[in-house]
Amino acid sequence: MTDSSMNEDDFVALLTGVQGALRLYVQSLMPGDASAHDVVQQANTILWKKREDFTPGTNFKAWAFAIARYEVLNYRKQQARDSRLVFGEELEQIVAEDLAERDEDTERRHEALKGCLQKLRQQDRELLLHRYTASAGTLEEFARRTGRSKGGLKVTLHRLRNALLSCIEKQLTPLKFES
Amino acid sequence: MSPAERNQLIDDLIDQDISEADFLRLEADLSVDPIARAAYYERLQLSLALAEVAAVRPEREAPLPASSRRALVWLAMAALWLAFIGVTSVWFWPRQRAGLAGVESTANGHAALVTQIDAVWSGMAAPLIDGALLPPGMIHLESGLAQIELFSGVRLVVEGEAKFEILSSMEMRLARGRLRAHVPEAAHGFRIHTSEGEIVDLGTEFAVDAAGERAELHVLDGEVEWHPKAAGMLRLVGGEALGLAPGNDPTQMPADDSRFVGLSEINERQKATQETRRKAWLQFSEGLRRDPRLIAAYRMDVPNPGERLVPNLAASGMVKPGAGAIVAAKRVEGRWGQTEGALDFSPAGSRVRVNIPGRHSSLTLLCWVKINSLDRLYNSLFLTDGHEVGAPHWQIMNDGRLFFSVKRSDGHGTTAGGQDKYNFYSPPFWTPLLSGRWILLGAVYDVEAKTVTHFLNGSPLASEAIPEEFLVENVTIGNASIANWSEPAYRRDAEFAVRNLNGSMDEFLLYSAALSAAEIAEIFNQSRP
Repeated sequence: MTDSSMNEDDFVALLTGVQGALRLYVQSLMPGDASAHDVVQQANTILWKKREDFTPGTNFKAWAFAIARYEVLNYRKQQARDSRLVFGEELEQIVAEDLAERDEDTERRHEALKGCLQKLRQQDRELLLHRYTASAGTLEEFARRTGRSKGGLKVTLHRLRNALLSCIEKQLTPLKFES
Repeated sequence: MSPAERNQLIDDLIDQDISEADFLRLEADLSVDPIARAAYYERLQLSLALAEVAAVRPEREAPLPASSRRALVWLAMAALWLAFIGVTSVWFWPRQRAGLAGVESTANGHAALVTQIDAVWSGMAAPLIDGALLPPGMIHLESGLAQIELFSGVRLVVEGEAKFEILSSMEMRLARGRLRAHVPEAAHGFRIHTSEGEIVDLGTEFAVDAAGERAELHVLDGEVEWHPKAAGMLRLVGGEALGLAPGNDPTQMPADDSRFVGLSEINERQKATQETRRKAWLQFSEGLRRDPRLIAAYRMDVPNPGERLVPNLAASGMVKPGAGAIVAAKRVEGRWGQTEGALDFSPAGSRVRVNIPGRHSSLTLLCWVKINSLDRLYNSLFLTDGHEVGAPHWQIMNDGRLFFSVKRSDGHGTTAGGQDKYNFYSPPFWTPLLSGRWILLGAVYDVEAKTVTHFLNGSPLASEAIPEEFLVENVTIGNASIANWSEPAYRRDAEFAVRNLNGSMDEFLLYSAALSAAEIAEIFNQSRP
């Protein structure tokens, strides 16, 4: 090991630190695709294998993103026949830059989300969370299984997400006092 | 793209239920707008977090329709009802009288389509626009949502896919689909026929799900009677629901309000859509303003508190008329539903006074109007004072024909038959169904092609050649009125003809050129509410 490489503990710390950003990045390239989780795992494996290639002091997130993007492209190649809509390269580049610079406030947001979920009506909360379980399937299937129309479900889910986001925003904004 | 629309598209993308066209629009927006991208990341992160919460929760039953839950106690009760009430359920309901043709109206229907969200209709002779009356016969809503108001006051939200028929303002048939009905006091007794039986509402709110094999009736509030075809009547109150499988006894379950889209949800969404269209139009009209052919764009939606002026937003015209002065007209809701977005010209004497300088040849006049009724002999759109030589007049006759003319001579016998002008009429376009609806009217005076063409909602109504002896190549306007006619100024006689438009207007465009039919169609498509 040369001076320019780092020990494994430090690398694990870095890798752990970018998990949230990595998940978001991969998901942003394959929105709504449940396989994003597997792609992130695959990217983690590759990152670990290539740990020697990382130069300490350089931007770890950008390096991790570059490798993750390669895994996303790999995945897409395997799914070649699946005609899913994919962003152009230019936008993907912009997204990578955005997210590499972004500081994720994952912990606090997660806490806020839990509080906000409790504020929803129970049946709304159940509906929303079930949308994110592995068995939910496509929007159409999910609508059928929950006894709703697709159009109605879309409107309801969108409203619930909006409610959660504005609730989270409120929780994260410190109270302002009039001076 | 408005934030509301963009957020909806982001959710559609994350739900993997987005059309290619919407995907491309969203991609374009994300590529240029960091705020849009921030919203994208925020919503992605929310789904990731929700997936995480969902994953660590103890496994729970999916939120299945309540029909899967049975209540045996209630079943026994239901059996009792069936036994005791049995055949006593005889109707004293006024049967729908078919073919009761009115003599004074040509309108047909029992209900109006108020709003629709992503609605796809099939088998319609004409596209169903908001405000349209629902045609008689079976209606097929393939997908999306529709808000319908029956003349009795019953309000429905129908979710596609649905097949239904409005039999009268108090009666409908539901062959398939899901609906929620809000029944006001005046409409108690409203009934829905289904393949299994009839639902009679005693007030106030219930929902029917006939989307799958088994139908369900949910009473959300108030009281409803269920009259199965094979047995006696059941009475349900708020919070109760019935599962109705063919050939089986009904099963009781708790009513589930959350499964049916409500009026507030649909309205929230509809407002967002309307705002999106308004923003898109504002952007489009920015381009229109810079068209050098446009000499006047009087926009009644531009707020100018206390000024009583209508600004001319045309930015590049050869002549630059100033603001119009509002006389008597009141500010009312505009075509996007925004407050103080239009002028109501129905108060006596209402008009907007303008002065259009310069000499012109071809002209295009366009205006968005919402007409209450054509109850004057002449219903003004745009008229020059008096009627001088070379001046245009544009109005609607009370029989529903559009009228356009440019005065050729001073009437001293210089033309055949001593006529001083030639009037170009469209065929009657007006029907009472257009009352209270925003429409785009247009007239094109084309000196080169020597034609006058009338337009309604972006489509030509009629085109007529200008006879050679009536062709006016030098059109002058000068002082004129929007939505009224002013007799020559300085006239002291206080008596005046009532010609003000009984309706509202929120935009008036005047081009010193003949626009093509395609351009007018484009303006209509981009500016329709």
